[in-house]
Order: sequence, then C-alpha cells, then structure tokens
Amino acid sequence: MRPYSLTRRLVIAVLLVELLSAMAITGLALAYERHTQFHAFDIMLRGRAYSLLGAVQDAEDAGDNVMLDGTERSLPSRDIYEVTDANGRVLGRSSNWRGSGDVAPNMNDDGIFRAKINGRHYRAIRVHGVRIVDPGDKGGGIPRHVTVIYGSETEHVWDVITDAVEFYAMASLLLLAISGVLMFWLLNRGLEPLRQLAAAAATVSVDSWEFAPSEQARGIKELAPLTGALETVLHGLKRSFQQQHQFVSDAAHELKTAVAVAKSSVQLLTMRHRTAMEYEAGLERCQADCERMEEIVAKMLTLARVESQEESKSVSHATKLLDCVYAAGEQLATVAQEKGMHISIDGDDAVVVDVAAEQLQLLCSNLILNALQHSTEGSEVRAVVQTRRHSVDIRVEDDGSGIEPEMLPHVFDRFYRSDPSRSRKTGGTGLGLAICKAITIRAHGNIDIVSELGRGTTVTVHFPVSTFIVT
Amino acid sequence: MRVLLIEDERRLAENVATALRDGPGFAVDYAEDGLIGLDLAGNQCYDLIVLDLMLPKLDGLSLLKKIRTKGDRTSVLILTAKGEATSIVELLNAGADDYLSKPFDLGELIARAKALIRRGKGVASPVLRLADLELNTVEQTVYRSGKAVELSPMEYRILEYLIHRPRVIVSKRELLEHLYDYNWEHHSNVIEAHVSNLRRKLDAASQQPSIETLRGRGYRMVMDRQESQ
Repeated sequence: MRPYSLTRRLVIAVLLVELLSAMAITGLALAYERHTQFHAFDIMLRGRAYSLLGAVQDAEDAGDNVMLDGTERSLPSRDIYEVTDANGRVLGRSSNWRGSGDVAPNMNDDGIFRAKINGRHYRAIRVHGVRIVDPGDKGGGIPRHVTVIYGSETEHVWDVITDAVEFYAMASLLLLAISGVLMFWLLNRGLEPLRQLAAAAATVSVDSWEFAPSEQARGIKELAPLTGALETVLHGLKRSFQQQHQFVSDAAHELKTAVAVAKSSVQLLTMRHRTAMEYEAGLERCQADCERMEEIVAKMLTLARVESQEESKSVSHATKLLDCVYAAGEQLATVAQEKGMHISIDGDDAVVVDVAAEQLQLLCSNLILNALQHSTEGSEVRAVVQTRRHSVDIRVEDDGSGIEPEMLPHVFDRFYRSDPSRSRKTGGTGLGLAICKAITIRAHGNIDIVSELGRGTTVTVHFPVSTFIVT
Repeated sequence: MRVLLIEDERRLAENVATALRDGPGFAVDYAEDGLIGLDLAGNQCYDLIVLDLMLPKLDGLSLLKKIRTKGDRTSVLILTAKGEATSIVELLNAGADDYLSKPFDLGELIARAKALIRRGKGVASPVLRLADLELNTVEQTVYRSGKAVELSPMEYRILEYLIHRPRVIVSKRELLEHLYDYNWEHHSNVIEAHVSNLRRKLDAASQQPSIETLRGRGYRMVMDRQESQ
C-alpha cells in the first residue's frame, strides 16, 4: 500500500466538509435572497398596479366611460401594463406589449405570474380593483370594475440575487482557503508528538534498544496507549533478544571450552613420547571429553526441540506420570548404585498428564539425575507423585548439600551452575534444569525449587488441573 | 618460572598445567575460581598469570582489573571462549598482555607464555646471552664458551631465572617462590644443592666463575650480560 499523509488526508476531509457546508450556505443564501428580492419586487409591482388603478378617471364622454390619465407615462418604459374595464375594454396598455391575451388566459384570477414577452422574462401582477368615479356625487359616486395587469422585467432582480450569492460564495471560498492553510499548520503542529514518537521508535535497533518517547508523546491521551504498548513490546523483545544472545554466547563458551578440553587432551599426548599405558589413559580421557561434548550438544538440541515444538497444541497426550518416574528411576539405577545411593518412588499411579511420554520421562530423569549429582554418597533421592486440588505435582527431594539462596533464582537459567567446578566434576552441563523448565512451561505448568544449605533440595513440578485427568 | 593458572574447567586446567610443567618446566599453581585466583595472585610471586574469563565467584575481567589496580605488573595471558572484538579491546585496555581463544593449541599457549615471561623481564629474544653463556629458551639448551652444558630441569630453571636478573642478588626464597608451586614443601637446602651443581657444571666449561654466593643473601650472576637480539 502506498504511504499517504495523515495531515493531507485530514485537511482534505475537513475541507471537503467545509466545501459542502459552503455550498449549502450558498444555496440557502440563494433561496433567501431570491425570496427577499422577489417579495420586494412583488410589493413594487402591486404598488405600481394600484397607482395605475388610481389613474383610472372618468372619461366624461357620452358613454360615461373611464380612461387612464397620464400617470402611466412616469412608469419605467420597459415595464408592461394593461388596464381593462369590466367589459374587457382596454383603457390603457404599454406600447411594448400587445396585451394580456398572449400570457394570461385566466383573467379572472388575482396574483403574481411569470411571463415571457418579446423574448424577455417578466414577473407580473393582476389586480382586480374598483375605481369610484366622482365619489363626491350623490350616492358615493359610480363604481367601475377595472383589471390591471402590471409586469416588470426580472433580469435586474436576478442580477442582484446573483451578486449576493456570488459574494457569499466568494466569501466562503476565501474562508475555505484560509481555514485550509490554518488547518494544515495546526494539524502539523498537533501531529508533532506523533512524529516525535515515530522518530523515537525509529532510533530503536538491534544494537540499541533505547526507546525514549518525548514527554509530550507520553502526556497525550491518544498517544499514551501506543507509547505504553511500544515500550512493553520493546522491553519484551529486548529481554528475549538478550536471552537469545546470552544463550548463544553461553553455548559458544560451553562448546569452545569442551572442544578446548578435548583438543588439549589430544595435544598433551603428542607433546612427547609416552608409554603405552600413558597413551591408553590419555585416549580414555579423550573419549570422556568427547562424550561430554556429545552430551552438551545433545542437551542443547533437546532444549531447542522442546522450546520450538508446536504440535502439543493440537495433539493431546495421556501419559501416566508415575510410569515415567519409574522409567527414569530405572534408567538412573546404575548411576545411583555407583554412588551408593537409593532412589525411592511413590505416588498415585492413576494420574495421567497431558505431556508427551518422551518429554515427561526426560523431565523426571533430569530431576532425579540432578538430585543424584548433588547428593552425598549413601543418601536417598525421593520422587513423589501427588494429586492436589488444583494441580498434580511431582516432587523430587534429596538430602544433598543444598544451594546458596542467592543462586536459587538462577538455577533454571541455561548453562547456569550453582557451583561450576563441582557441577563440571559431576558431569553437569547446566542445561538439565533449563530443559525441565522448558518442558513444564510447554505443559502450562510451573516448577519451583526449595533448598537449604546442608539439608537438601526439593524440586516440585506442578501441572495444572486442566492438563491431567484422574482415571 | 612460576605460573598461576585460573580456570574453572578442571579438565582443561589439568591439561594446560601438565603442558606448562612438561614443556617449559614451569611451576604451576591452579585456582578454580576467581576469588582463589585473586588471593593467590596477591600473596604469591608469579611470572605469568593464565586467566580464564568466565569464572565462578569473580570473573576474569574483574580479577584482572583488581590486580592491575593494586599495581601488580605480572604478565597476564587471557583464555577466552568469546570472540567478540569489543571484549578483546576491553581486555587489553584492562591490562591484559595477550589472549588466546578457546579452543587453542597447547604449543601456541606455551610459546605465548614463554614470550610473555621474557618480555616481562625485559627480554625479547628467545636466546639469552651473558658473556660466554648462551641459553636457548626454545630448545632449553645451554652453551658456555661454545660447549654444551647438560643441566637437569631444575638447574636449567634456576639458571634461566638468574640469567634474567644479572648482577642482582636473588635470594633463595625468591628462587623457591618462582620455581616451585605452592604445594611444594619449601626446603632451602634443595636450592643450595641445585645451585651448587649448576655452578659446577657451568664452571667446568670455562675458567671464569659464573654464579656468586653471598652468604645469607642469595646468589648473583657475575658475568656481563649480552642479550642477543
């Protein structure tokens, strides 16, 4: 989609509304002006018609007829008129008109009518009046019924109306132009915080996560949610990016160290001539180093696989939790035997959890192995499956040396070792608990750890009630 | 020469320590975390510190800054598994003398360690000469007046240490501190025996005396120094 200017759009929209308003006002002005002008025009017509009526005089002839006196001569020359008596006899008529027969077939009606005479537009009035001849005579004079038709050209009225409408239209257009410019300026000013916000957002990059919106952008009611949302998103992205970066850095460190160990073991063998026994021992060391490297790679891949798996959303699993704990215990029995330790397993064997069997077993074996690695010889590791009201838990306890309180919040971080030298000695990669956490999160559960120095550690995984069914 | 190795990966530390002991015959002390390393660096005399960066309790960079702040001028060789240019610049700016990225070559580590120790003592060439005495630090061979002198590893180490400090009185304690790691039980008569043998072997090849004993004070090379460039 082509980018467009919000300012321009808003200005065009408002100007369009203003233009429509201006057109409506001009239309109303036209109607009002027309009404006013023609009302005045009609009064003028009526006045002139009555003045013609007043000009009807006794002709003092044998037939006792009436006639028009000379008043008509003072009327505008382009106006038309006709005065007829009750018998239809024309008493007077303007010279530029042939008579009412052409335009006013219905002569009996009073009122205003329009006519086109000699190609010109006229507005005319027909007045039926009674003219009293000789009112001073006995009996109040003689009433004479007279009909006056008086018309005047409407061209100049339309000129006045057009002038007025033109004035309104021009004034509206001028106002439209002024308001357009003003609005553009105001909108530009008003949208400045939005531009500032965009500029602040544009400064964010992979290298710089600093997002500093202006105080103005923060203070604007409409922009505050956007600013807040951007800050939240960027904060999340930054954290995620840093975590990824940290993971890559840690993974590189671990792998490079593991390779350095293997390489140095091989090089040490080749530095000088050695006995067959020394070579044998050296090769065993090399093998152990390679196995450790293999373990790190395998666990990193497991972690990546667990975190990226999408299928669990659609596929539902019904895995017996206690079966997995037993399988893990069996798998680690030899490790426990080597250290002279015992693994005890207990719990509700009816509990079924919605996690793939492979992952659930991996979770259990990691928890038990972790406990075994950090326990003293001859002690016991206890794994218990418990059904609670809102969750089903698997709890793994050991009586080992425990973890220092300040280390506890970090034990689920990837590659974190509460005691690196000891953990490496015991073969830990620093990924076991990170894998446990990833599996738990995928199952919408949570994992917590309680530890007391010298007393032991308890790791508990809680699966929410929605992910298990008790059969 | 005595080296402090601070590395939390025990297997790697074992291999590096073995290589430094077997190759150039350095005495190696080992610290598995930053705090122990800092403690050792502050209380013992080292010719070189080999320092890992990611360490428990105190990281390598902080440790380096701390020892440099205290005025410790011991050469520091950093072992890093990171390859970022910024951190290397930061390391060098913080006072590191050299660095090696993991995985590294043990031969290269030894060569760099020797070079750093030499430079730390103001010598650039691997062949040290003092009058008619010639000591090749790469081949670990000694010649006096053109004749090869066969020395035991400890005799060679004593000579190498002394040749770096001509005309300076080196005490038995100093020799002990630089030639043995802290697990060694210190017996000064061991040094006396070695120096006596060393003097005898060197003097057999020339008429001029080589090492002077100053009773109660220590030893001193009595030849004029000529460094080969």
